[in-house]
Amino acid sequence: MKTKKWTVDKGRTVQSLAQFITRFLKLDASEQLFIYVNQSFAPSPDQEVGVLFDCFGSDGKLVLHYCKSQAWG
Amino acid sequence: MADDKDVLRDVWFGRIPTCFTLNPDEVTEREAEPYYLLLPRVSYLPLVTDKVKKHFLKVMRTEDVEEMWFEHEGTPLKWHYPIGVLFDFHASNTVLPWSITVHFKNFPDVDLLHCPTNSMVEAHFMSSIKEADALKHKSQVVNDMQKKDHKQLWMGLQNDKFDQFWAMNRKLMEYPTEEGGFRYIPFRIYQTTNDRPFIQRLFRPVSTEGNPHTLFDLLKEMCVCASEENRFQVVIHGIEPLLETPLQWLSEHLSHPDNFLHICIIPAPTD
Repeated sequence: MKTKKWTVDKGRTVQSLAQFITRFLKLDASEQLFIYVNQSFAPSPDQEVGVLFDCFGSDGKLVLHYCKSQAWG
Repeated sequence: MADDKDVLRDVWFGRIPTCFTLNPDEVTEREAEPYYLLLPRVSYLPLVTDKVKKHFLKVMRTEDVEEMWFEHEGTPLKWHYPIGVLFDFHASNTVLPWSITVHFKNFPDVDLLHCPTNSMVEAHFMSSIKEADALKHKSQVVNDMQKKDHKQLWMGLQNDKFDQFWAMNRKLMEYPTEEGGFRYIPFRIYQTTNDRPFIQRLFRPVSTEGNPHTLFDLLKEMCVCASEENRFQVVIHGIEPLLETPLQWLSEHLSHPDNFLHICIIPAPTD
């Protein structure tokens, strides 16, 4: 993904982010996308991004990794 | 302390008497009898309701059966929340047994996540443990464990094996003595008056002056109106701990197997 930095409304869910990435990268909608925080856990799809930012953000940003297969889960 | 170990057992073996009734709109070949079951507070609905499914499937045709889901008084029950949390939040002060309606149609995609297999429950459970350890130990303890250790935590929960689970979980409850506690406490506060699903933020178990934080301190910091004690109850595992209880102790003894302290703020009974 070329544009790595995004501003996201804190009420958005992990699931809605995954859907956005899938559309943005023109991936197959049926393919599952895994999103990870701190390269250590995959938050629940209904988890709010704002909560993740409050707990796991640093330097004013939340770093998330995405992949099509399970990496750290 | 022998007393503290008893608390761990009491928490693990907590049960909720439940009555499952089939949604009257489901198509059945004959009338469905309700099904009674004692649900473990610390487990998850998909893990303990195979018998419920089998029971109702006996009176239904396969073509009328889609993914099973549960509801209490119109509210769909989230399978990925621990059972005890669902009960304390939705049905605390209602008459027992807890009545749950079973559905096999019209899955509410907006409210519920799909759960086709037990591996999904395992993935969710392990992720919660990892998230909790990220807060407690910067993930160091959980990352030092081997894959078989992670499996032991899951199998312990799935098979209701207290000793098997805690043989491994005790490592997640350790901390450097000089710190006085975990780095941050993994907690979630559920409030009926809040439109957000729960409150989860960073909170240290010990103040900068070195004093242990209490449950009261946590609620105050999270702006939870439990100070109006008459109107609200603060419930963990179906009980109301004293607000002066040290948060570190609560985290070590009253967390769920997912290593989170789930706290429900519910309206006090009005009688």
